[in-house]
Amino acid sequence: MTGSRRPRLPIVIAVHVGIALATAMVLYPVVLVVKKAFEPGRQFALSASPVPRALTLDHFRDLLGARGSHGELSFLHHAGASLAVAIATTAVGIALSCTAAYALSRFRFPGRTSALTGFLVVQMFPASLLIIPLYVLLHQLGLLNSLSGLVLVYSTTAIPFCVWTLKGYFDSLPRELFEAARVDGAGPFRIFWTIVLPLARPGIAVTALFSFMTAWNEFIMASTFLTDEGKYTLPVMLQSSVGQFSADWGRFAAGALVTSLPVMALFYVLQKFLVGGLTAGAVKG
Amino acid sequence: MTALAEARVVRQPGTRSAIRDVAIVGVVLWIVVVAAFVRSRNREATAHALAHAQAAAQAIARGDAPIHATAAAAVVGPAVASQRHAFLSRRVARTSAGDRSLGGPGAPAADKLLYDAANRFEREGAFATNLADGTGRAVAAVATARGPAIAVTASAEPHPGLPWLALLGVAGLGLVVAAASTSIVGGRASGAGVAIGLATWAIPAAWWGGPILAIVVGATALGIGVAHHRGATTRVLTTVREHRIALGFLAPAGVAMLILVVVPFVVGLALGFYDHHHGRWTFVGLDNFRRILSGDGHALGDPLNFWFILGVTLAWTFINVLFHVTLGTVLALGLRQSWLKGKGAWRVLLIIPWAVPNYITALIWKGMFQGEYGAVNSILRGLGIDSVSWFSSWATAFSANVATNTWLGFPFMMVVALGALESIPRELEEAAEVDGASAWQRFREITLPHLRPALGPAVVLGSIWTFNMFNVIVLVSGGKPGGSTDILVTDAYRWAFERGEQYGMAAALGFIIFLLLLVWTLVGRAISGSAEEARP
Repeated sequence: MTGSRRPRLPIVIAVHVGIALATAMVLYPVVLVVKKAFEPGRQFALSASPVPRALTLDHFRDLLGARGSHGELSFLHHAGASLAVAIATTAVGIALSCTAAYALSRFRFPGRTSALTGFLVVQMFPASLLIIPLYVLLHQLGLLNSLSGLVLVYSTTAIPFCVWTLKGYFDSLPRELFEAARVDGAGPFRIFWTIVLPLARPGIAVTALFSFMTAWNEFIMASTFLTDEGKYTLPVMLQSSVGQFSADWGRFAAGALVTSLPVMALFYVLQKFLVGGLTAGAVKG
Repeated sequence: MTALAEARVVRQPGTRSAIRDVAIVGVVLWIVVVAAFVRSRNREATAHALAHAQAAAQAIARGDAPIHATAAAAVVGPAVASQRHAFLSRRVARTSAGDRSLGGPGAPAADKLLYDAANRFEREGAFATNLADGTGRAVAAVATARGPAIAVTASAEPHPGLPWLALLGVAGLGLVVAAASTSIVGGRASGAGVAIGLATWAIPAAWWGGPILAIVVGATALGIGVAHHRGATTRVLTTVREHRIALGFLAPAGVAMLILVVVPFVVGLALGFYDHHHGRWTFVGLDNFRRILSGDGHALGDPLNFWFILGVTLAWTFINVLFHVTLGTVLALGLRQSWLKGKGAWRVLLIIPWAVPNYITALIWKGMFQGEYGAVNSILRGLGIDSVSWFSSWATAFSANVATNTWLGFPFMMVVALGALESIPRELEEAAEVDGASAWQRFREITLPHLRPALGPAVVLGSIWTFNMFNVIVLVSGGKPGGSTDILVTDAYRWAFERGEQYGMAAALGFIIFLLLLVWTLVGRAISGSAEEARP
C-alpha cells in the first residue's frame, strides 16, 4: 500500500481505471446540467446524452431577463435577497464571535469547557431541529416571511461555527506576542484590538467566507420561513422553477450554473483551510 | 477568620454595587421586553380588527346579516341636502332591520362614524382603517351597487395596554426591593428582602403563564433568597468579578446563543406538551409523546408509524455512512499511491460533489430519476433493461435517495481519509515492507490504526448530517411513495407544515430526535475516542 515501490502493471492499470470510473460518475450529473443549460428546450427532466443537440444562450437570457410582478429583473432581485441575507448573517456571526473565540482561546475561567461543548453541540446539531420553535416564535414576533427573520435563524448555526473556527485560529497565534504586549502594559482589550484582530485577519476572512457560503446555499429554512414569492432567496427560486407542475429544466440548469459557480470557485480556494480546520479540530486542540 | 473569608468581606461593597448594577440592567431589560411584547400584541390586535371590519363590510355588501362583534354595519346611501337646513345633509342607512336616517336625536354614536366613512369612501374609494381613538375599533368600506357597505367593529375587550403597565410596575418594584435589601439593609434581612422582592415576579408570571409558572417563579425566588443568605450569590459574583474580562469577551456570543438557541429550545420542549389546532393551544401533558411512541393508531408496517420511520431513518443513515466511508477510504488509498498519474487533477475532480450546493445536487438527481426519458431510465434502456418508475415503490425511491446522498457525501470522507493517510510515516511502511509484511498485513497494522482516529469523529459528524439530510429526502423522493421514504426530520416537518399546523406533535417529535442524536453523540464519542475530549 505504501507507494514506495511500483507494484505489478495490472494493479496499476486497475487503480487508474477505478479512479477514472469514479471520476466519470462524479462528473456525469454535472455535465448533464451544463449541457441542459446550453441546449434548447425545457423538457421534463435531464436526459441521458451528455452531448447537446444544439447550442443556445436562451436559458440564460430567460433567466436573467425575466421580470417580476413589479417590473424588476427577478433574478437580480432574488440574488440581492440571497446576498443581503448571506452578508448580514456573516456580519452578525463574525461580530459576535471574535471576542468569544478569543476568550475561549486565551483565558481560563470556570465554565469554559461547558461553553466550548455548548458551542460544539449547537454547531453539530442541525438547525432543522429548531425549525418548529423558531417558526412559532418568529410568527409571534411578526418576523415570518422577512429576510431579517431569516438572518436570525441562520445566526443560530453561524455563530457557533464562527466561534469554533476562530478559536482554532487564535490558538495558532504565538503566545509570546500576547505576553510581550502585556509586559509593555497593554490592557486585555487593547491587546485584542491592536494585536489579535490584525493578526487574525486571514483567519477571520476564511471564517467569514465559509459562513457566507453556508447561508448562500441554504434551502430548507428559506423555503419554510419565506412565503412571499417576492422575497425568495435564490435556492427557493431555483427549486420553484422545477416544481411539480411547470418544470423548466433549461432555466433551472442555467440558474444552477450562475448560482453555484461562484461559490464552487470559492470552495476550491478555501477547501484546504476547511480540511485543515476539520482535521485540526478533530484530532487535536 | 480565614484569608478567604477576609477577602470576601473586603469585596463586599464591590459585590453589592454589582448586585445593584445587575438589578438596574434587569429593570431596563424587563421594560424593553414588556414594551416589545405590548407592541407586538397591539399590532396583532389592530390587524385582527382590520380584517374583521373588512369581513363584516363584505358580509353587508353581500346582503348577509352583520357578523358578530360588529358595532354598526349598513349600506349607506348618498348625501342628500336637508330640506329644513340647507347647510346640513343627510344619509340613509340601509340595514337588515330596515332603512333609517343617520344621526338625529337618540341615534347611536356610531352613526357619526358611518357618515364620515361614507364621505371618505366617496373621496377615496374602498378602504379599511383603524380608529385612532384608542378603542381598538376598525372601520371598513367596500363598494356595492347601492352605495358603500360600511362596518365598524366593536371595541376591543379587554383594554390592551393597561395590565401590562401595572405588571411592569410590580416587577420593577420587586427588583428595587431585592436590590435595596442587598445594598442597603445587609445582614440577615437581606436574604429575605431578595426573596420577597423576586417573589413579586410571580404576579406577572401568574397573569401570563398560570399558577404553575407562578409557583415555579416563587420557589425560585425563595431559593435565590436562601442562597443569598448563605453567601452563594456573593461567591458567584466574586467569581464573575475575578473573570470579568474573559466573561465580558464571551458575553456577546453567549447572550446571542441564549436568545437564539436556548430560548427556542426550551420553547420547543414546552410546545411538545401542547396541542395546536386552528391557532389554539391546549395543554395535553405527555399525550403527544404517547401518540408518537405508540404509533398513533397506525400499524407497524404503516409509513406513518414512528417506529417504521425510525427504522427507515436508521437504515438510511447506516447505509449512507457505510458507502461514504468505504468509497472515501478506497479512493483515498488509490489517490495516495506515488505512481498514480495526474494525482492533483483526480483529487480536484473527485471533490466536486462537496463543492456543489446540496440542494442543487438533489434537484439534479431528481431530474435524472424522473420520468420515462430521465437520464437514468435512458441509460437502463440502452443497457436493454426496462425503465423503472423510481418513485412508485419504496425500494427504488429509497435507492434513488441513497444514490444521490452517496454522490454528494463521499468526498468529505475521502478528504478526511487522505489527511489521515498523509500522517503515516514513510519509514514505517518501508520497514514493514522490508520485513516482508503482506499488503493486507500492512493495511491492518499500519494504515487502519492511522485512519481510525480521524475517521471516528468524521463518522459521528457524518452520521448526524445524514440523519438530518433534509434536502435529499424532500427534493429527490419527497417522501414518495406515500411518505414511506420520509426520515424523522422530514416527518416532523410534515406534522408542522402539511398536517394542519400540528406544531405540538412536531415539537414533541423534534425533542425525541434531539434525544436520539444526543445518545448517539455520547455513544459515538465513547467509541471513537472523541474529538472533544482531546480538546483542551
